[in-house]
Amino acid sequence: MLGIVLLVVVALTALALYRLTRPGARFGPIDLAWHRIQINRDLYVGIDPSYPPFAEWTPERIEGIEADIAREIARRLDVEPQLLIMGYDGLYDSLYTGYVDFVIAGLRYSATQDDWVHYSQPYYDAGQILVTPLDAPLDDMSQLDGKTLAVELASAGDLAAQRWQRRLHVLNVNRFMLPDDAMQAVLNGEADAALVDTVSARLYTQAHPDLRMVAHTSVPDEYVIAMRDANYRLTDAVEGILFDMKADGTLDAILDRWLTLDTLDDEEH
Amino acid sequence: MVNLAAVRLLLLRLRRPAALIARLLILGAVLRALAPAPFRVTLDPPQTVETEHPVVCMHTRLTDEVEEWKIQHTLQLVREMGASTIVEYFPWPYVEAQRGTYDWSHPDRIIQHAANQGLQVIARLGLAPDWTRPPVDEKVTTFTYLTDDYYDEFAAFAGAFAARYQDELLGIIIWNEPNLSFEWGGRPVDPESYTDLLRQSSDAIHASAPGVLVMGGALAPTIEPEDSGSSMNDIRYLERMYEAGAAGTFDALAVHTYGFTLPPDDPPFPDTINFRRIELIRDVMVQHGDANTPVYITESGWNDDPRWTNAVRPGQRITYTLQAFEMVEDWPWAERMCLWIFRQPNDLMNRRDSYFSLVSSDFYLKPMYEAVQAYARGWPNPYAAP
Repeated sequence: MLGIVLLVVVALTALALYRLTRPGARFGPIDLAWHRIQINRDLYVGIDPSYPPFAEWTPERIEGIEADIAREIARRLDVEPQLLIMGYDGLYDSLYTGYVDFVIAGLRYSATQDDWVHYSQPYYDAGQILVTPLDAPLDDMSQLDGKTLAVELASAGDLAAQRWQRRLHVLNVNRFMLPDDAMQAVLNGEADAALVDTVSARLYTQAHPDLRMVAHTSVPDEYVIAMRDANYRLTDAVEGILFDMKADGTLDAILDRWLTLDTLDDEEH
Repeated sequence: MVNLAAVRLLLLRLRRPAALIARLLILGAVLRALAPAPFRVTLDPPQTVETEHPVVCMHTRLTDEVEEWKIQHTLQLVREMGASTIVEYFPWPYVEAQRGTYDWSHPDRIIQHAANQGLQVIARLGLAPDWTRPPVDEKVTTFTYLTDDYYDEFAAFAGAFAARYQDELLGIIIWNEPNLSFEWGGRPVDPESYTDLLRQSSDAIHASAPGVLVMGGALAPTIEPEDSGSSMNDIRYLERMYEAGAAGTFDALAVHTYGFTLPPDDPPFPDTINFRRIELIRDVMVQHGDANTPVYITESGWNDDPRWTNAVRPGQRITYTLQAFEMVEDWPWAERMCLWIFRQPNDLMNRRDSYFSLVSSDFYLKPMYEAVQAYARGWPNPYAAP
């Protein structure tokens, strides 16, 4: 009897200790980054400005989708953003060493870093998406049996099409050197749909309103923000802001601003 | 007087925890026995590379590959692709972490598997051990910081390396991209000093393994002016090497040439970085009476990262690469074209290099692999341009 009582006491003590010392609890670890952010009112963000329209180094400042998202997060936190340029191979190192508070640079979720990195919900899906004529009743790859699909040669869409050729009875696949050529084939009536990356699809369908993108990507490629797991208050705050930005249309507005033909044309000039 | 009753009581009290400990030990032993055994790697029967285009070569990246089966599998795939040669990086500190003591276990493992697959190896030697660098409280330096005080020790290492692996080695590249300050320990680049390192290394290698080619250069393609703090134009750097007496110190010139967004036949100009920039490098060699020295392209290729301004689309990458192989085969002075990079250990940690690779970290064969394999082995290209 005494043993059972002791066991219960030990279990209750362990539970109490866990609850009191878990992240965010009274005696839990302190999110030092969050404290610094609150005191100094600054937010250090790692960014790789080598791929417009996501991030580009202009004479004035770093511009692009990821720069705007980072600035919007800082604005909602009421702190001053400091966008720090990182080499593509130093992004995780800068996060690990605390040089930056988070990294936004086209990163994907990586299980190998999951033990110390918190990956946010995605802010953009750059994967492969079907583009069809406006009136075509096609929404996903399973509806392409007996149809002709246009893809970009050797792309992720090409590989997905090869997989679907084994799943469907008949799927004719026409390859093109560029995604625009694949979508042009749909316009020309040479293919029922094209499977191309979402950036190319967004731009091409803007210029060609007879085409549309379906609702979801067939091959996702989601970009996420990377933060240190230990910074639990910061990760909560960033996740909340991202959620709000999606809900109130801010994220879509940023994407619409940068993924337009006008913006890209301006940059090329 | 020993109180036997008290001892007996103590033993009785200890019996229960002792039994508990014994059970825990047994449980631990059982769990340990249940753990999967490490992957056992055995050598294949000796293989040979089947290729119709020996010019095809791959830069592998096995330097930090922990698991031996991945080293073996990488080299099996390279051989099956039809590449005759690999370039691999062997850091000096991995072998001579302690001054004067060589530990060959790291290169032994890679070289034996390469030889087993019938691959020729071009070894790139570099990095500076801790003991060659000043104490950190005196001066903060990087792993590429090597002063001329230690050139003789590097040369001794290169000579020992050549002697040990001379039957498997095609050549040895001395250092990497010395025209970049980053690769020169953050110091201003110094072609004359590099020539001195090359000369000392060359003497040591030729003395210990005359059949191994000494490869100099491996310069980064850059158009940075001569007085730039970060790097130096590769053409000017090579000229200064020759002016410093580099002719004759190397048996072959290692060259890095990348196409970036331009096709391989884009014409060369001094202020343009493209694939045919190598022809300007070759011109410098000819101008300095070094026309008979061959060129090995030890890094090259195109990148298909969809989010990089210097990248091309995947189909263009394949098309350009195969065109480049054909061009190199037409150049009598060029011996190999080695693509950067076959596979890297973790794609998600280094996004940019993952779009140079032919095989993913988890050994998925990319279309680029199949296209190069088809070229090397004379098969129909499954990713021919439409």
